[in-house]
Amino acid sequence: MLRTLAALLLMSTSALADTADGEALKAMTWDQVVQEARGGTVNWFMWGGADTINRYVSDHLGAILKRDYDITLNRVGVADAVEVVNIVLTEKEAGIVDTGAVDLIWINGENFRSMKQGELAFCGYTDLLPNNALVNWDNPAIANDFGVPVDGCEVPWNTVQFAFAHDSAVVADPPRDMAALLEWIKANPGRFTYPAPPDFTGSVFVRHVFYHAAGGADALLGPFDQAKFDEAATKTWAILNEIEPFLWREGQTYPNTIAQLNELFANGEVDFTFNYDPSQFGLAVQAGTYPASTRSYGLTDGTIGNTNYTLIPFNSPNKAAAMVVQNLLLSGEEQLEKAKPEVWGASPAIDITRSPAEVQAGFAAIKGHPSVVSADELAKAALPELQADWLTAIEAGWQAQIGN
Amino acid sequence: MTGRAHPLWLLAPALLLLGGLFLAALGLTLIRSFRYMPVLGLTDPDLAAYASVLTSPGFLSSLCLSLWIALASTVISAALALGTAMLLRQTFPGRRLIGFLVQMNLTVPHVVGAVGMLYLVSQSGFFARLAYTAGLIDAPGQFPALTHDPFAIGVILLYVWKEVPFITLILLANLQSIGADHEATARSLGASRWQAFRHVCLPMLRPGLLASSALVFAFAFGAYEIPLLMGASSPRALPVLAWQSYTNVDLATRPEAAAMAVIIAIIGLALLLVYARLTRPLANRGRDAG
Repeated sequence: MLRTLAALLLMSTSALADTADGEALKAMTWDQVVQEARGGTVNWFMWGGADTINRYVSDHLGAILKRDYDITLNRVGVADAVEVVNIVLTEKEAGIVDTGAVDLIWINGENFRSMKQGELAFCGYTDLLPNNALVNWDNPAIANDFGVPVDGCEVPWNTVQFAFAHDSAVVADPPRDMAALLEWIKANPGRFTYPAPPDFTGSVFVRHVFYHAAGGADALLGPFDQAKFDEAATKTWAILNEIEPFLWREGQTYPNTIAQLNELFANGEVDFTFNYDPSQFGLAVQAGTYPASTRSYGLTDGTIGNTNYTLIPFNSPNKAAAMVVQNLLLSGEEQLEKAKPEVWGASPAIDITRSPAEVQAGFAAIKGHPSVVSADELAKAALPELQADWLTAIEAGWQAQIGN
Repeated sequence: MTGRAHPLWLLAPALLLLGGLFLAALGLTLIRSFRYMPVLGLTDPDLAAYASVLTSPGFLSSLCLSLWIALASTVISAALALGTAMLLRQTFPGRRLIGFLVQMNLTVPHVVGAVGMLYLVSQSGFFARLAYTAGLIDAPGQFPALTHDPFAIGVILLYVWKEVPFITLILLANLQSIGADHEATARSLGASRWQAFRHVCLPMLRPGLLASSALVFAFAFGAYEIPLLMGASSPRALPVLAWQSYTNVDLATRPEAAAMAVIIAIIGLALLLVYARLTRPLANRGRDAG
């Protein structure tokens, strides 16, 4: 009995390729890192709200990692990346510096800022990944995550841009810019609403109104500026208070989550939903949740876009294996695979022109879902994200001025 | 095994679990609520987090909402459960089937129940669709707002649906051990049915009713998932407020989240004390009478 137990323990220790020492990894060649990664397990904590994405990660990526690198991928679904920030933060408090539970996080924006603020990220290794060469780091939208410099602390995975969805059989000619949308809301009482910030998607809708009130995003870029904020915020709250009586339930309550707004849209209680990731509309139509006549579009005055990333916490015991996962995610083949609408429909974070010819041909051959506005179409009018301090100020202001 | 182990040894596993996991976590929360988090550079404990929580505009309305949800759910559930238990005690055809149906949803998780409740009573739910088919309403917005409403009707409905079987189960077990003899004696001495229930049965059921009601109240007051799924965006129930503060992107708000959790715990503790006050004289009285 004891002998079997000891044998089991020995087996499990030998199976653990402990690569917690990030500095040692940085001094290695890529082949050495891949060698170190063998037998490792990567606990990847990511938003788990979409079955298609979950399948792509667990089944497709999991199989490749097992087959080619002997790496076990363990996807852990969470509702919000901030939960993972809390885990790593608590571990740091408890003095866990090389045996953390988290090896990889799907992250961006405010949560990335938190990870940097608490010095919770493993940084300065991204040049080691061969596929890093496919990334155009000269693009400020890639090199900055919501205005915070990436500094080699995370690896881009997808780019997204906000879009609205409507049922073309119900609203044939939807409003195409923010001013028209605000008029439409007032002319159609009860048919529009948005999730209450701090919901991620509700928050970005409010930022669109904020940009509109400020007369564009250009003046708001850069570090937080109280005077500029106050000026734009006063106008924003005036606009939002003005439309409030015309919202769903006369604005007495707001959906708490984007899932709730999607549900209202699916049930025909409201005429619009929106998402940072327009491919979600196509997936919902495929799943039969939204009508086939669902169409999506951006605003002529622009919609906000951003990049999302993967990050390795400072205390991950499987850094080598996590790096191999990141490198695989960046490969032209995988960026193409997840761009297929039937798989996920996510826009690439790499510069496609740097990828192999067959990958480029693959991208050219992708036929988009009719319900999903193409990334090229959206990119014609793209707006940048603000730095995280602006976001928290807008969210807090909304709670105080509108949400109460 | 010879002799009898000291009760403390027998209690050790339970105490370890309680002390090691529950009290340690509570202690850590308490420390954080005093703004002591060296990892964030907070090393001088103070009460600023409590001050900021207690003076924030939404806190009072959230507290009232949570108390309202807990109180309404508990009172309605207890009353319905009492009636159900008294009815189910009697013998009538189909009693076993009804008893089974009443207790079936004990096994359904709260979240699943909430989703089901949304399908039924939301403005685009089953009843709204029936009303539409019957020509009573023309649009979802005309159906009364029973979910995400300011009075948390949907939340209370769900708790009542879920907790009536729980209290009923406790009361039925009580009734079984009490038996019908006491009431029969009262009736033979000339008490009416109501008097026998009011002065004989109910006092004997009181400890079980109070204990199960206290559990329901504490749960409804401290649970987070149902008000998030079915509640309005404002005011938010206290646990929702605490969770949102805990998951705020700004790490500096963690002490406020901890302070809110401590306040919820203190209110729960106060409730337990009230409950102990209410039941202790009664237990003594019972012992004296026995």
